Amino acid sequence: MNLTTLIHAKLDGEITAEQHAQLEALLRDDWQVRRLYLELADQHARLLEDPAVNTGRFKPPSVIAREVHWRMWTFVATAAAIVLLVFLVWPGAVVDKEPKSNGVAMVSQTLDAEFAQAAVRGGDTIAPGSLALKKGLAQIEFFSGATVLIEGVTEIEIISSWEARCVSGRVRVHVPPAARGFLMHAPDLKLEDLGTEFALNVTGQHSAVHVFDGEVIAHEKGKEPAKLKVGMSMPSKTTGVSTGEFLPISELQGLIRQREQRRFQQWQARSEEVSKDPRLAAYYTFEHSADDRWERLVGNFGSFERKERAGGAVGAQWTQGRWPGKGALEFKRPGDRVRMNVDGTYAALTLACWVKVDSVDKKYNSLLLTDGYESGEPHWQIYEDGSLMFSIGYAAAGQRRITSKTNQIHYSTPVFTADSLGRWHHLAVTYENASGTVVQYFDGREVGREVSVLHEPGRPIVFGPCELGNWGLPTQGHQFPIRTLNGAIDEFAIYEAVVSAAEIREIFEGGKPK
Amino acid sequence: MGMLMSTRMSPESAPRTEQLVLLLSQNQQPLFRYIFSLVACEADARDILQETSLALCRKFADYDGSRPFLPWAYRFAYLQVQKHRDKGARSLLVFGEDVMDLLSRDRERMEPELDVRLQFLDLCLGKLTPQDKELVTSRYGLREGVDAMMQRFAMSRRTLFRNLELVRERLHDCVTRQLRSEGLS
Repeated sequence: MNLTTLIHAKLDGEITAEQHAQLEALLRDDWQVRRLYLELADQHARLLEDPAVNTGRFKPPSVIAREVHWRMWTFVATAAAIVLLVFLVWPGAVVDKEPKSNGVAMVSQTLDAEFAQAAVRGGDTIAPGSLALKKGLAQIEFFSGATVLIEGVTEIEIISSWEARCVSGRVRVHVPPAARGFLMHAPDLKLEDLGTEFALNVTGQHSAVHVFDGEVIAHEKGKEPAKLKVGMSMPSKTTGVSTGEFLPISELQGLIRQREQRRFQQWQARSEEVSKDPRLAAYYTFEHSADDRWERLVGNFGSFERKERAGGAVGAQWTQGRWPGKGALEFKRPGDRVRMNVDGTYAALTLACWVKVDSVDKKYNSLLLTDGYESGEPHWQIYEDGSLMFSIGYAAAGQRRITSKTNQIHYSTPVFTADSLGRWHHLAVTYENASGTVVQYFDGREVGREVSVLHEPGRPIVFGPCELGNWGLPTQGHQFPIRTLNGAIDEFAIYEAVVSAAEIREIFEGGKPK
Repeated sequence: MGMLMSTRMSPESAPRTEQLVLLLSQNQQPLFRYIFSLVACEADARDILQETSLALCRKFADYDGSRPFLPWAYRFAYLQVQKHRDKGARSLLVFGEDVMDLLSRDRERMEPELDVRLQFLDLCLGKLTPQDKELVTSRYGLREGVDAMMQRFAMSRRTLFRNLELVRERLHDCVTRQLRSEGLS
C-alpha cells in the first residue's frame, strides 16, 4: 500500500492495525510524510466541518487575524520564491523524492548584470529557454563545457547543453576540447565550434563573426560550409566586428576580482567600526592571522578585545569566505567545530553571522550551541526543513533538565531551499528576557517573530562553554548526536543587546558578497 | 492563586465571559482541525473538542489577552487528546505520544500555510465534476453511512473508498496547484 493510500485509509477509519503501524513509522521518521499527512488531515477536517461546495469564502476575522495575515504573506512570499525556482529549474514542477533538474547550463559569473527574467541570479541553473540580459555582463557555462559571455543588451536562447542561439546582441564563445562541436545559431547562420574562442554580433538579421583562436565552421544558408581560422571575420569586409569590441573572457575575471576586492575593503572598514560597538560580547571575523602558527585561533575582535573569549578551531579547515582574501572556516566532518567560552549573564542577545550552507542534511544543523542544554542557554540551529530554529529553556522548579514541556523553541519560515544553498547568507536572531520576543532574520529581512507561551520575564541568559558549527563535548564513552553544520562561517557576532531591524538590514547590505 | 481567580469572577468578569464566548466560537473550526489531525477520528475529535472547550472555560482566568489565543488553546487541546488516549482508548489505531508530539509541533509551524490552503479548497470544490461533487456531498454534507453510499453509487466498499481517496487527492492537487500559481502572480 502506498503512502497516500495509507493516509486516506487512516482518515476513513479503514486502516488495519498493521497498516497503522506502518503509517506511524513513516510519520515518525520523515517530516515530509508528516507534512503530507497534515495537509490531507486538515482538508478532511475542514470538509467534515463545512462541506458546502461553495466558492471564495474567507475566514471570519479573529483576534489572531493580524498575525496569521502576516505569517501568511511571508509564507506566500517564500512559496513564490520556491515556485519561481521550481519553474526555472524544473519546468513541469514535479516534486519527486529525488530532485530532478532539466538544467543545461548555469550562470557562473555576473557583473552588474540585470536580466529581463528578474529571478535569474549568479549561480542559478538554467533550463532550455530564452535568456535576455538588459545590462552588464554574464558568463554562462553550458554543462557540455562551453562558456558563453554575454554583454549589454543581448538575448540568447539556450537550446541544450550543446546548442544555443544568439537572437540579438553580443556574445563571446569559448569551447574547450571536451565541448568541441558546440553549436551557436544566428540569423541565417550556424557556427560549429571546433575548440576555440570566437565572437558573434547580431543586429537585426545581420550577424558578424570574428575568430580569436582555433577554428570555426560557418554554415550559411544556401552556401557551402566555410572554415574560419584565427583572425578571420565574417562577413570578410567586416562592418559589424572589431576585435576590440569584445571583452575577452579573461578580462571579465579581472573586473570581477576588482569588484570583489572593493567589496572586501568596504567590509573591512565597516567591520572595524562594528568592532567598536560596546554591545558586542564577542565578534569573530575569521581573519586568519599569519602569526598563528597552529592555525587554530579564531580571534575575538569585539570592543574590549576580550582575549579569553577567542575561539579555537577543531578540525574545521580554513577556506575562502565571501571574497578572495577573506577567511572562513569550513565545517564538514562530525568533529569540526570552533570552541569558545563566553562568560557572563545577560538580559538580551543578538546572534548574527554570515554563513554558506552547502546542505541541510541532518535533523539539526548547528550554528551556535552551548555545551549541553541547561537553563538559560541559547541554542541556534537550522532545522531539517530549512528553517532557523532558536531555542532557550528553563528547567521546571526542582528539576535539572529542560524537557519538551519547558523548552521554548522558535522556528522561522523555511529559508534554506535549493535556491539558497551554496551561497553566502546573513542570519540573525534577537531575544530579550523582558518581553520574551524572538525575532529571526534572513538576509536582513524578518522571517519569524514570536513570544513563547512558556515565557516568563526576567530569566537570565547564559552561554559559558559553547561552540560554532557543532554541539557539545561528548561525555566519555557516550555516543553523541551528529549536528555538524555542512557549510562555512566567515563572520559571527554575539551582542548582549537587541540589535534593531534597521541595523541588521544595514549589516546585511554592508556585508553582502555582491 | 485562589485569590486571583475569585477577584476575576467579580462583576468585571462579564466582558471577560463575552470575550471567552467570542474566542471559543471563532476558534471552533481551527481547534477541531488541530484535534482531528492528532486523532483522525471524527467522533473522538468532537468529544475532545468539548472537553477542551470546558478546560478553556475553567482556565480562562489565566489567559493573557495580549497573546494569541490559539497557541494557548492548543496546549489544552493537546492535553485533552492525551487524556483521551489514556482513557482506555489506547487501541492499536491511535498514534503514539511521540508521533502526536511531532505532528502537533509540525502543524503549529505549518498553520499559516494550512490556512491558505483552505481558502483555495473552496475554489477547488467548485471545480469538481458533478459526480465528484455528489460524492463529497453524500459523504460530508449528508453524512451518509458506508452502506447508504454503496447503494446510492452502486459501488463495492473497496471502489467507494478508492473513489473517495481519488476525489480528496484531486482536491489536494488542485489546492497545491492554485498555491503555486498564486505564488507566481
